Amino acid sequence: MIWLTWRQFRVNALVVYAALLAVVAALALTGPHLADVYDQSASTFLDWIATRRLDQSLYVVGTVGGFVVPALIGAFWGAPMIARELEAGTHRLAWSQTVTRDRWLATKLGLGLVGASTAGAVLGLATTWWAHPVDKAVGARTDSDVSSIFQVARLSPQLFASRGVAPIGYAALAFVIGVLAGAVIRRTVPAMAVTLAAYVVIQIVMPNFVRPHLATPVDTSTKIAAGSIHGIMGRGPDGPIERIDVGSAHPGAWVLTNQTVDANGATVHSFGKWVTDCLGPPPGTDKGSQTDAAQKQACYDRLASEGYRQHLSYQPAGSYWALQWRETGVLLAGAALLCGACFWRVRRLS
Amino acid sequence: MIWLTWRQSRIQVAVAGSAALAFAAALLLTGPHLADAYAQDAHSFLAWVSAQRSDRTLYDIGILAGFVLPALVGAFWGAPMVAREIEAGTHRLVWTQSVTRDRWLGTKVGLGLLGAMVAAGVVALGLSWWAHPIDQVVNLTGGSDGGNILGVPRILPDVFAARGLAPIGYAAIAFAFGVLAGAVLRRTVPAMAVTVAAYVLLQVFMPGLVRTHLVGAHATTTPITAETLHGFRGRGPDRIDDLLIDVDTPGAWVRSTRTVLASGKKVGTYPFWVSTCLPPPGTEPAEPGAREQSCFDRLASAGYGEQVIYHPASQYWALQWRETGVLLAGTGLLVAASFWRVRRLT
Repeated sequence: MIWLTWRQFRVNALVVYAALLAVVAALALTGPHLADVYDQSASTFLDWIATRRLDQSLYVVGTVGGFVVPALIGAFWGAPMIARELEAGTHRLAWSQTVTRDRWLATKLGLGLVGASTAGAVLGLATTWWAHPVDKAVGARTDSDVSSIFQVARLSPQLFASRGVAPIGYAALAFVIGVLAGAVIRRTVPAMAVTLAAYVVIQIVMPNFVRPHLATPVDTSTKIAAGSIHGIMGRGPDGPIERIDVGSAHPGAWVLTNQTVDANGATVHSFGKWVTDCLGPPPGTDKGSQTDAAQKQACYDRLASEGYRQHLSYQPAGSYWALQWRETGVLLAGAALLCGACFWRVRRLS
Repeated sequence: MIWLTWRQSRIQVAVAGSAALAFAAALLLTGPHLADAYAQDAHSFLAWVSAQRSDRTLYDIGILAGFVLPALVGAFWGAPMVAREIEAGTHRLVWTQSVTRDRWLGTKVGLGLLGAMVAAGVVALGLSWWAHPIDQVVNLTGGSDGGNILGVPRILPDVFAARGLAPIGYAAIAFAFGVLAGAVLRRTVPAMAVTVAAYVLLQVFMPGLVRTHLVGAHATTTPITAETLHGFRGRGPDRIDDLLIDVDTPGAWVRSTRTVLASGKKVGTYPFWVSTCLPPPGTEPAEPGAREQSCFDRLASAGYGEQVIYHPASQYWALQWRETGVLLAGTGLLVAASFWRVRRLT
């Protein structure tokens, strides 16, 4: 049965692993050079690498691959694995050869899961190893503006699911979703489409609803003080001010909420016009400084006395691996549940 | 035959059509609101819209859809269209019912191409209409600050193929490729995989190998002064390989920047004296001292300048039309190959 499954599966496996091998080889060739440059001059590393077109494309390929490979594994390995047999009727041949349905399914699922998790692990861990100097440099930054992909923290949702151990969980889960969809729908192409759609939904649900709760976020509430305001968002010169931007957490952190609350703890959506005074005159205009400083201070005092505070909730950079392991655990638990559903479904197939 | 094709593909059409309509409805609901905000205050518009999470998500989804939709159309509409029939043997039934192979394939491909192009057109042109105020701001100011996708000029490869007319061409060529792959491989799943792989390769090679040659790039040389210099790159303290010069080309797709001598010769490594007189890295080069000024004077008198080769923002629609034309021509070739192939099927 293992031999049969391997024969049915080997072209799929070879295609994916050949592509992965090419990416890993490219990462292995360029990675040591990055580490060298980082050791030579850590402070200018991010500026240097932002100008390297080849490294940038490699990083993008690794990141996009981390998101896309699980989807492809689910659609092209998982979905046809049972649906193809049901469509062609070849499952009957296997089931009538002293192979029980459970053994037939277990062998297919087992080999497929090993293949899928290995592919996820190779890609996720190779990118992590390669990007280690980038992560160190991002963690050491003091400002938080993002003008190239190399300045994105690995904890942010843009990178999180494509790096570390999370792709193992995503690949395993996507594969089992594909197998289950094939066993339920019994037709290959619709099963593939459903698998892709389910994977997209999972990728949207995880960062928005599950990941923030996997580790306790750090909550801070600070007074809005001079120098901490970055900008004011409002609509038009006469519209109400809707948001004020206040200095955020460490660049490596994943900010969950950053909003102003009033004395009652309610989120503020509209400020009075007087808040503009806190910023002082716009840069470039040479107005008298004495009155403006006093006006500014009065504005900050008024913010404080009316009870406005900035509420900031974030996952610190130190939670990265805890979040990675827990998210992978959640995904693998989901995969195990769906495996159970596959066995239940295949026993009831006619 | 048209009725049969419709019956075979109505579920696909319903799924893709309802997704495209939902997206178009979201664009229609939020678009006028963006235009209002832009009309009220163009200056702070980009910062304002970047802070609107729902508008940003909508734009992200639109760009992603522009890239992904042609791949899905090719893999899920194109590849199974012929391959599923051959796998199941159902093509024989049709061919023996006084329907010629050419008419069979012609109807399938014709309806499929129409559906693919309409779906891509709704998403991509809808997004372009929605993002019109954003484009106006970005083309004036050069946009990209804060690394957010709303600030990326629409002519850059990051978003070019996901907006405007190009997705129509990509959807058509991906569909035609799927049909051909299905007819050649005769198996659905491998045909789908090959279609997705071919589409990815097309997207990777199109910008550098084809798009940039569709319209002649502009070249301009900027003198190196204290205002334009914003950094330099080199190995070791005494060796400067490259000066980073700000060039004023808002909204343009910059193909290459390099330092040239007045004769047009490319500079590999700068002479030693350049590294001795430039301000040290990390400092603000806003107020150059006498030493720096003499350095810039010497650079200018030696004829050093920064040459930029770029596609200006005004070439956007020319590039869009020509790229779509190239893709549709490719579609025609692939369809012809499918007819040739289907005539030879047993």
